[in-house]
Amino acid sequence: MRYLPHTDSDRQSMLQAIGADKMADLFADIPREFHIEQGSLNLPDGLSETGILRKFTKAAEQNRHAGNTRCFLGGGTYHHFVPAVVDYVISRGEFLTAYTPYQPEIAQGTLQALFEYQTMIARLTAMDVSNASMYEAATATAEAALMARRVTRKTRTVIAGSVNPRYRAVTENYLSRLEGDYVEVDMGHFGTDLSKVIAAIDNTTASVIVQYPDFYGTVYDLAPLREACDQHKCLMVVTFSDISAFGLITPPGDFGTDIAVGSGQALGIPMAFGGPHLGILTCKQKYLRQMPGRVCGLTDDVDGKRGFVLTLSTREQHIRREKATSNICTNQGLMCTAAATYMTLMGDKGLETVAKHSAAALELLVSQLPSHVQAASGAHYNETLLSFENQQKRDAFVQKARENDIFAGIPLEKMDKHAEKRHLLVATTEMLEKEDINDYITTLEASA
Amino acid sequence: MSAASPTYSATSGIQHEEPLVFEHAHEAPESINLPGVQADISASLQAFSRQKEARIPGLSEPETVRHFVRLSQWNHGIETGFYPLGSCTMKYNPRVNEQVARLPGLAHIHPEQPDDSVQGALALLHEVQHWLGEISGLPHVTMQPAAGAHGELTGLMMIRACLDARGETKRKKVLVPDSAHGTNPASAALCGMFCVELKSGKDGRIDLDELKAHLDDETAALMLTNPNTAGNFESDIQEICQLVHDAGGLVYGDGANLNALVGVARPGDMGLDCLHINVHKTFATPHGGGGPGAGPVAVNDTLAPYLPVPRITKKGDTYHLDTDSDSSVGSILGVIGQSGVFMRANAYISAFGKNHLHQISQDAVLNANYVLSRLKDKYHVPFDGLCKHECLLTDDLQTKHGVKTLDIAKQLIDLGFHPMTVYFPLIVHGAMLIEPTETESRETLDSFCDAMLEIAAQCEAGDTQALHDAPVKAFRKRLDETKAARNPVLVWQD
Repeated sequence: MRYLPHTDSDRQSMLQAIGADKMADLFADIPREFHIEQGSLNLPDGLSETGILRKFTKAAEQNRHAGNTRCFLGGGTYHHFVPAVVDYVISRGEFLTAYTPYQPEIAQGTLQALFEYQTMIARLTAMDVSNASMYEAATATAEAALMARRVTRKTRTVIAGSVNPRYRAVTENYLSRLEGDYVEVDMGHFGTDLSKVIAAIDNTTASVIVQYPDFYGTVYDLAPLREACDQHKCLMVVTFSDISAFGLITPPGDFGTDIAVGSGQALGIPMAFGGPHLGILTCKQKYLRQMPGRVCGLTDDVDGKRGFVLTLSTREQHIRREKATSNICTNQGLMCTAAATYMTLMGDKGLETVAKHSAAALELLVSQLPSHVQAASGAHYNETLLSFENQQKRDAFVQKARENDIFAGIPLEKMDKHAEKRHLLVATTEMLEKEDINDYITTLEASA
Repeated sequence: MSAASPTYSATSGIQHEEPLVFEHAHEAPESINLPGVQADISASLQAFSRQKEARIPGLSEPETVRHFVRLSQWNHGIETGFYPLGSCTMKYNPRVNEQVARLPGLAHIHPEQPDDSVQGALALLHEVQHWLGEISGLPHVTMQPAAGAHGELTGLMMIRACLDARGETKRKKVLVPDSAHGTNPASAALCGMFCVELKSGKDGRIDLDELKAHLDDETAALMLTNPNTAGNFESDIQEICQLVHDAGGLVYGDGANLNALVGVARPGDMGLDCLHINVHKTFATPHGGGGPGAGPVAVNDTLAPYLPVPRITKKGDTYHLDTDSDSSVGSILGVIGQSGVFMRANAYISAFGKNHLHQISQDAVLNANYVLSRLKDKYHVPFDGLCKHECLLTDDLQTKHGVKTLDIAKQLIDLGFHPMTVYFPLIVHGAMLIEPTETESRETLDSFCDAMLEIAAQCEAGDTQALHDAPVKAFRKRLDETKAARNPVLVWQD
């Protein structure tokens, strides 16, 4: 077997050194009735490397993907540009095959990359500090709710109905076994009627969670929420599904957000059918010690040379056990290195260009919509909701679009089971060209 | 901060200091060329334009590559050398796995694409889902959990739901051996349950009397790791499971140590109800400097109704993502799971197949016992007998020479090895937990053992200063962790 270095004679001489006759002796502590016969599992025989390549190539060819279609799907995952350099850097064995940097003297590469990641994420979101990643946006949102409970020592959580239904479902699930209320606020027809959310906040509320831009792509003013949170001493939590927005629009920190969480998948990480993606968690400095997950901090070595270590570990499960701020251990470390590499390549200017092109593509699409389709009102970043007369018309368009190699959007009820079946959630990125938008519109016109 | 640096940076041979991205002095070069619609954004969006710059510097492509390649050279990975971290299963990560996960038809598919456009990807996921059930002996598997701890939470949620369905809502006590991973109690707390610690017996294993004393009508579950974190198999496993079941509880298995059992024995056959599997350990998906991993959970028929949604199912010849289930614990992740990680795991299992799978654990266990046999005379072995895929030593014989586990670990760095897991498990003083894995050669094991024996000899000779100073050859010497925690600087201020 090509991954195993021993020959049979190695095995025999090692067994001898141990004082065992045969391999089975090493498993004598497992009761006999539990030993399974070698080769008895219902699995295929092993494949050569060529066989593996053939198998996966064949399977991959059965899928349509963003490389051979035009992808207008969003809802938390976006087809943004992934520079070759990002994939190269995270393919380096020294990053790829390292463990969590618990031995900092020989892990300064991972640690400095994490420190740069934390700094760039804090700057992009305009928040004070960032941790070294969560799994993805939905669990990050749930962790933010838990964190707010620890900070405020209150247990009521208010969440806006315009937060991604998946993030809401996971947050509700995480909170459902703990004491305290979980309140979802209906914000009207794909609305951003913050007053309804504000009305739901009371003095027992630990946090209020809104999405910005919201699930429907709407960008709106969060200032009134900050006032309401101050009034009731509750934490303002903002979640986001596409961090690329903040290359262009006012970031959550500029509204005085206490905890900002969301997806960093846009930062050079492929969609990969759901992951691995990148969960982001940032907060104000004063809440640092209630933050979940690993963080990297600056220090010196005994010679006074600058170096980095994982720090504040007294918050974490391996020290605090049941009193830890979270149970998270393994996170999305490599994706932090990917995001740091991506942001270094882009800089402020590149990030702004990505966001502008993403938003301009949506604007171009919306501005050409035929009259039988309505787009949601208000300011939108790179995602919006198109409403059709009925499900039949929507589905006919989606089908027609697929014939033209276009994934036209996500039927809203797929993500929000309560939704009417005539809406389509549509997202754009810098990967779409003018011609793709024109094809979209042409198909839409033809399906009227 | 480092002293004023000279204009050259090589430290030893060609190894470089490298400033932070933010310290690179020059202005950002012209922006990277990007595709896309180069038109105006809407006026309504313009009203929300960012007012303050983010101040993310931006380097040219060659500078970016050099920056991160230099950083990478300060790291130790499996590809660089031996990485015997106990309970972490740092095995070789095959390169073909990276290649197949990057095929455009797998890397660039959107999780909300219609099922009929992703049949190939679903087939690969469904296949590995089935294999994990087969290998664990627990046939129903959820692929959603993103890591081991997330799997623990998911498993406990299912146990909670099962007990609630039985009307046993007051069962909230989770028994956890004192040798358990810290994630176990943390996950239980998140699930609204509380932990009671079981004191390990003299052999480091679960003490049946201690277990019996704690089992009662408030017991929800026992969480156990088998082999345990001392590297020993819980030979009483059948009786342990029976006792817990008789008391009305369920048995949760932490699969961190599954590498000792793959293809040899199945936790499901032993009576466990539930097992999370760390595919980033057992099935060779890269650890990435802390993640990503995946923590699929395999369960028996008792817990199957409570599996999270969506589920990957096969009907006839087609694959589906099913979200319908009345009894499910719901969803625990926004997407279907860490699909890319499972593609690599699929490739790893594919390479072995049923005819070679048992060699994973056989060679892993052989290697651990070989290391143990070479070191047992010079290091204290707290629990006698066979070990499984990892062996536990302590610094008991070295402390009388003033040398602690930490010193031994740091000296290993200077001798060219990543240290073992230190100070875990907590049930022995000065723990050193060594897990060589199946992908290491005898030559590597021997050179590691020689290094360990040299350290032991240095201690006996009283020649210990180097051990306290170590590492001196690494990129950095011992780092001041107290300073980092006392005055946390987590972002760069310039």
